Amino acid sequence: MPRKVNYRIDYAEDYDYHDDYDYDHDLESNGEAPKEDQSVSKPGYWRCAICTYDNDNDDNLTSCDICGAVRIAPVGNSFEVKAVDDICKDPGVSVLAKSLFASLPRGKPKMAITMQRQGKFSDFQNAFNIPDSRQHINIAPFKFDRASPDDMVSAGKKSYGKDIKAKVPQFPPSKTSPVIAEKGKMKAVSNAKKYEASSSTSNKVGRLNSNDRSPISGSGVVEEDKIQATTSDFLNLKLKPSIYNQKNDVNGRKTASFDEYKPEPWMLPDQKEQTLPLLNLAIVGHVDSGKSTLSGRLLHLLGRISPKEMHKYEKESKQMGKGSFAYAWALDESSEERERGITMTVAIAHFETKKYHVVVLDSPGHKDFVPNMISGATQADAAILVVDAALGSFEAGMDGYGGGGQTKEHAQLVRSFGVDQIIVAVNKMDAVHYSEERFNFIRVRLGSFLRTCGFKESSIVWIPLSAMENQNLITTASELRLLTWYKGSNLLEAIDSFLPPVRETSKPLRMPICDVMKSLLSLGQIAVSGKLEAGAIRNGSKVLVMPYGHIATVKCIVRDSRACSIARAGDNVDVGLQGIDASIVMAKGVLCHPEYPVAVAASLELKVLILDITMPILVGSQVEFHVHHAKEAARVVKILSLIDPKTGKVSKKAPRCLTARQSAMIEVNLERAVCIEEFSKYRALGRVYLRANGKTIAVGVVTRIIHQ
Amino acid sequence: MKLVRKDLIPNGPGSAKMIPEEPDDLWHVYNLVSQGDRVMAVTVRKVQREMVSGGRDVERVKLKLEIEVEAVDYDNVGSVLRVRGKNILENEHVKIGAFHTLEIEQHRPFVLRKDVWDSVALDVLKQACDPAASADLAVVLMQEGLAHIFLVGKSVTTTRSRIEASIPRKHGAAIAGYEKALNKFFESVLQAVLKNIDFKVVRCAVIASPGFTKDQFHSFMLLEAERRELRSIIENKSRILLAHSTSGYKHSLKEVLDAPNVMALIKDTKASQEVQVLKDFFDMLSNDPARACYGPKHVEVAHERLAVQTLLITDDLFRNSDIPTRQKYVNLIDSVKETGGTAHIFSTMHISGEQLAQLSGVAAILRFPLPDLEDMEM
Repeated sequence: MPRKVNYRIDYAEDYDYHDDYDYDHDLESNGEAPKEDQSVSKPGYWRCAICTYDNDNDDNLTSCDICGAVRIAPVGNSFEVKAVDDICKDPGVSVLAKSLFASLPRGKPKMAITMQRQGKFSDFQNAFNIPDSRQHINIAPFKFDRASPDDMVSAGKKSYGKDIKAKVPQFPPSKTSPVIAEKGKMKAVSNAKKYEASSSTSNKVGRLNSNDRSPISGSGVVEEDKIQATTSDFLNLKLKPSIYNQKNDVNGRKTASFDEYKPEPWMLPDQKEQTLPLLNLAIVGHVDSGKSTLSGRLLHLLGRISPKEMHKYEKESKQMGKGSFAYAWALDESSEERERGITMTVAIAHFETKKYHVVVLDSPGHKDFVPNMISGATQADAAILVVDAALGSFEAGMDGYGGGGQTKEHAQLVRSFGVDQIIVAVNKMDAVHYSEERFNFIRVRLGSFLRTCGFKESSIVWIPLSAMENQNLITTASELRLLTWYKGSNLLEAIDSFLPPVRETSKPLRMPICDVMKSLLSLGQIAVSGKLEAGAIRNGSKVLVMPYGHIATVKCIVRDSRACSIARAGDNVDVGLQGIDASIVMAKGVLCHPEYPVAVAASLELKVLILDITMPILVGSQVEFHVHHAKEAARVVKILSLIDPKTGKVSKKAPRCLTARQSAMIEVNLERAVCIEEFSKYRALGRVYLRANGKTIAVGVVTRIIHQ
Repeated sequence: MKLVRKDLIPNGPGSAKMIPEEPDDLWHVYNLVSQGDRVMAVTVRKVQREMVSGGRDVERVKLKLEIEVEAVDYDNVGSVLRVRGKNILENEHVKIGAFHTLEIEQHRPFVLRKDVWDSVALDVLKQACDPAASADLAVVLMQEGLAHIFLVGKSVTTTRSRIEASIPRKHGAAIAGYEKALNKFFESVLQAVLKNIDFKVVRCAVIASPGFTKDQFHSFMLLEAERRELRSIIENKSRILLAHSTSGYKHSLKEVLDAPNVMALIKDTKASQEVQVLKDFFDMLSNDPARACYGPKHVEVAHERLAVQTLLITDDLFRNSDIPTRQKYVNLIDSVKETGGTAHIFSTMHISGEQLAQLSGVAAILRFPLPDLEDMEM
């Protein structure tokens, strides 16, 4: 299948959004090797090299459950299996394994190379069977390339290095050489950093190899997690420049400067810091499914709401005759929201689990507030889709009137935010007497829809719960009717099972402004809040406030009402600004690195997937255009081509209109320019959503910015 | 518009004298006057005179000129039509062939002479002079942080005001900031309403928004009106309607005009008819794509096969094109009508016309499906 291999490589580079949607295709394409990355970091399974059975990842399990083969380094071995797969197309691979492999949206061939070598290396290590994990650390300065002085620290390991180097040509996918060339360049960035990263890589390998023997394993989950995060960051660091390099051929003019960008050392995450990684968790679902109540209840159970406050909410809500809304009031703060009992704008709250510092984005479910949901929840890394189990309510969320309830719309939107891990919380189980049949019915019904949205079976977690009766939230359920048939994890455990999101730490700063606050005591005259999509800031950093292009100075950074000195990609923070007039800071602007400003454009070329629409999209269709926190009126000015979702090739030029479930290239003109980036450069700033008549009609990405 | 005198032959030469009375009328005049027509009106022109002493004196003289039209400009906001052309009326101050620009304003009579008064021109004239009360409607279209005020006339929609404010999200202790910002935003919208909506002119005012913003604003407005004794609002309380829209952008205006309670008020007006017809067209396009087509070539082919049931066309096509093109469209309309179809001329100043203009300006709902039309390369 050489054709497909090629396609995958070209295509995934700049537009893998589409692949995400294209579930079937992924299964067969060749670029799956990087997915091992996930199968390693996902604690659930490891796969036997002999019989391809997916074993539970019990710490003391050192051989395959089925065939008894000894467990060797999972990284390497599963790659090997993959290779076999590709050649003989082994039909015996389990569906689960397939979907696991298919589930990585960040799949890039170059990653495969890196991982391969890592795999080889650990194999190698394994063969030597070094018993003490300290030794592993010594071997650690295993470099993807061998020239760093760090390597010389342990001269005795040189031979390994040579071996590894010699192996490189064995895996010569077409892109190998630019990657290596780039690596040389990137190495200068921070040797120390690399050292840490690579040592942690081997730590991990070591740990996985000799499960119980390693002393590091004693240091707890948190640490392991950190290591993983660092490793993936590290891989990213290496991969990015080569992406840009290729881009240059196509579009050299703009990206050239990006190659020169070197993040300063402080901008990169430091694994010594004892903070939990951040997870932006959107809570979405149909109106009245209990999103705010669930969030409120979680906050309450985790001690983020004091008993006094809770008492106040209970009393006040009773007074208004809305006793059941007490928990929701923790998040629905404005009088209007409380009066009507529905959430109108996205509320932000923080809590901590064992693994994550979670930022909850509690979004509104009412169909009129979907724009608010889009602008508020685009920052999500993962999501909880809340479904009302009650008879009729679930159906309303699915079908609603006019063809689409918000359960569906939100699921599609969340997917297009780039979220690929989702928990489906089947709420209000008490209303259906904790019936297993109802749960399974919902699971089947919604599951098939979620798959069409592009969620992988393996990254959907289904949890029956009841927020009001506190079943299955942070502890195992106490309700017998539920216990008899449900044995899975509770909500909090499920949140911890999310994979850590990948951050764009090594790119120039981008922080879309979600909200502007004026004259707040803690933050000074003018402050903005939002999520850093890339790069980092610290107190005193100069930032460029777009779209007007004025320079401001960061005065203070506040995260969860605590001041901190540095904020990095992924952090959801409030930033106090100095030296800028309040009137030119707008809630749809972007803070950027002064030398790498974000593009401001009104004319764009998009690649879109049309959702289930009744009214076809024609040239001249008027839509509301959403990107990060900005929204603008826009018009479709050209329909360039229809795209075959399976092959990615143009199937028809200049069609007259677009109907449901088609993929197409279109050109749009915005009424006013917005800050925007091509998807290939910054994903978060290149994802767009088109709405018309109160419905989301298309989701897509920016493929080209047409300057005017 | 007041028609003072009419002296013309249908499809032949003739002249008409008229007095525009409303801003809408100028739009009609804009559609009526085309290149090559002759317009006579009283105007003011600076004239240089040589004095006996040899010095020069500049004087503004009021005089009557007739010009052959070369270009027409329409100013929506100022309600002025500027007609540029060469003078053809001998005058002691202005030579024949000298350029002059006539300004046609409300309450200023003028005479229009055409070589050919085609059916479309006669239609426009008839419509413009229809004494039916103007259906002026004021629409306040809003969403949190954005508001537009539109005046929807018979054939012109004017954007009178755009208000934008940044409303912070609810934010823990800063919740007061949200309410304060919202109230400030409502206050500026209210000021714009007072300034731009004259209840003597408009039939009713519609407040439309997604969610509850409209209700919030409505109660805010009534409360403030009581407090500050804003007579114009208190007295016209019953003429303020609420409607649902999905956003605060201009294109949501069609949803407002579509709303049953608003529709009931304006159902006889052109604006609502246009919205309805365009909706029919889009419905047809989504339900039975073979029975709807757009683009001049496609429509022409469909018409050759006598398939056109309803023709949708923008006035833009008549205005900006040369005489043969105009003739072509006039013939199209005439023959559609002859074959039992209907033709709707959309005003590009309305939201529906704007949308039709995006679809090349001409579209048709067909009597029977023509599936092969789509495959035709044109």
